Amino acid sequence: MSRPRLGVFGLTGCAGDQLVLLNCEDELPELACLTEVRDFLMASSANDACGELDVALVEGAVAGRRDEERLRAIRRRSKTLVAIGSCAVWGGVSAAETPDRHADRLAEVYGPAGLCYDSAPARPLRELVRVDWSLPGCPIEKHELLELMAHLLEGNLPPPADRPVCAECRMAENDCLLARGAAVCCGPLTVGGCRARCPEMGVPCIGCRGLLEDANLPGALEVFERSGLPRQAVLAKIRTFGAGAPAGGAL
Amino acid sequence: MRVIRVEPLARVEGHGGITVELDEGGLSRVEFDIFEGIRLLETVVRGRSAEDVSPIVSRICAICSAAHALTSLKATEAAFGVQVSPQTVLLRELLLRGENIQSHALHFFCLALPDYLGAPGVIALAAERPREVQLGLRLKKLGNLIQETVGGRAVHPVNAVPGGFARLPGVEQLVGLRRALEQGLRDAEAAVELAASLPSPAACRAETAYAAAGGGPDYSYYGGDEAILLEGDQRRVFPAWDYRRLTNERSAPHSHARHSAFNGRAFMLGALARLAVRKDQLSPRVRRLMESLGLEAPSPDPLDNNKAQIVELAEDVAWAAETVDRLLDQGWREEPRVEVRPAAGRGVALTEAPRGLLVHSYVYDEQGRLLKADVVTPTAINTASIEERFRAAVEQAGGEEPAELTRRLELIARAYDPCLSCSVHVVRRADAR
Repeated sequence: MSRPRLGVFGLTGCAGDQLVLLNCEDELPELACLTEVRDFLMASSANDACGELDVALVEGAVAGRRDEERLRAIRRRSKTLVAIGSCAVWGGVSAAETPDRHADRLAEVYGPAGLCYDSAPARPLRELVRVDWSLPGCPIEKHELLELMAHLLEGNLPPPADRPVCAECRMAENDCLLARGAAVCCGPLTVGGCRARCPEMGVPCIGCRGLLEDANLPGALEVFERSGLPRQAVLAKIRTFGAGAPAGGAL
Repeated sequence: MRVIRVEPLARVEGHGGITVELDEGGLSRVEFDIFEGIRLLETVVRGRSAEDVSPIVSRICAICSAAHALTSLKATEAAFGVQVSPQTVLLRELLLRGENIQSHALHFFCLALPDYLGAPGVIALAAERPREVQLGLRLKKLGNLIQETVGGRAVHPVNAVPGGFARLPGVEQLVGLRRALEQGLRDAEAAVELAASLPSPAACRAETAYAAAGGGPDYSYYGGDEAILLEGDQRRVFPAWDYRRLTNERSAPHSHARHSAFNGRAFMLGALARLAVRKDQLSPRVRRLMESLGLEAPSPDPLDNNKAQIVELAEDVAWAAETVDRLLDQGWREEPRVEVRPAAGRGVALTEAPRGLLVHSYVYDEQGRLLKADVVTPTAINTASIEERFRAAVEQAGGEEPAELTRRLELIARAYDPCLSCSVHVVRRADAR
């Protein structure tokens, strides 16, 4: 197979997922040989900004007209589009607040000038274009990115992730933070793949990888409430990474 | 009218551009444009409890996520009147040194070096100069290893929490890190040699003012409780709580007036600024490093910030090696985190992020919920200084081809190592004209 033509793009976010790619220091030289990096603005000033791509890795949320136009243009030129990172997959931290308050928040941070900016409530990529694969995480995990690249080089995609962080945490035989009852640990609700990075260190999971499709949210809220953790605080926490948990009264 | 436009500006973090307009009367407009999307994280943290704040604000920026996370903790702890242990302070400093190594290696080798060696980017450079690129990647990896060892992750650390650390590094981890630092010391030396051998492209020469955090021990990034402004020979000291008098951000709609300036004067932040502001306290080692690069601080050449980053990188690797040695030699205490009792209060923290002075200022209510957050990032402050240097470059240009002037402007912008994700929530955006 010829070398796949690759584009790496950032919309609105912290560039953390592109940084994880650049942090693959051991693998980067080989990756650069196995692929043909055509468009990667953060790494090169000689980019082909229009030509067809086999794979586009897109980080960040869509937070305005400019992002939207760029995303549609990337979609048009790419055979496979991968959303990398929780902002691209879920909206991320900038989608933590409900969209209806966007204008107020803009005015609060920027003053009246804020209302003139090209700014809209942050949305995940899939609300605007077809997304062929989603790699969540804030930031994405290096081993998952490399696994994905290996699959893409073979012309296919990895198996879908369907395990919660909790499962990986138990396999690591960590002391259960939920059982201790003191903290909101989002492990049971959150898409796994991070090898329970936070609970492994004794830090409760903050749900940065987003809600599992079949997460038992009412059940988890009941467990949290039994431990005396207020429902509103729990929901706010779950919503932090924009994973679309229902608003306060919805449950 | 002649117009120079660079959009998008490559090899920087985030989305930016350059606009320069010249009419018969001379320069009419000089702008460093920022197109980065708005995220409004200041409003996301409102109402949150202390433990939630640091992980959210660290997402302002990935490359300096440790600086944001730790500055946030420092501000929260100041608001609650919590004093962390000296060991916690030492490990937080080590974490920031790791971040600085990572960030400077990324910027110097992957973003700036291609300009000096005539390549469009690091991938092309890797084919022509594999040794130099490998050297940079090894140093970058070392910085990440320090961050992983202390912070639990290279991007957005998870281990630093209010009151201390969730888990202290283990012996094997520190032994492994020490081994990597051994190679790192040799690599840092090679980086200094490489930086010393590079050509000095002409971009512009213009004196400027500088600011950096002060009052901390040694060449500290984490310590310090004041900001120092250096203007010529004059030094002004601003206590942390009074940071606004220095940063003085003004929002002006539809104009490019939104700048940080003190008495109307722009000032530069970052590695070169730290060396300039801390000139009288520099250790013999740092002085030697500066000498081997022929670097003086202050310097009228903004591109000297690239060399200053290599001085810091070498100093940080040496400091980290000494610190890890001492930890392995003297041991460290398995101390619990200091209890953080929420209390109403205001906390302001200053630190040095890789790109310069970073301020987080918080107000909490009596239940320990965040009422108000103000974050001032180095790139936001540097914007005015970048534009001042653009202006100098255009004024000093003597009939060069537009392509050459464009190249100079790009060199200047890149030398400030701008981080546009960081800057966006405080500087004007280009579309607001």
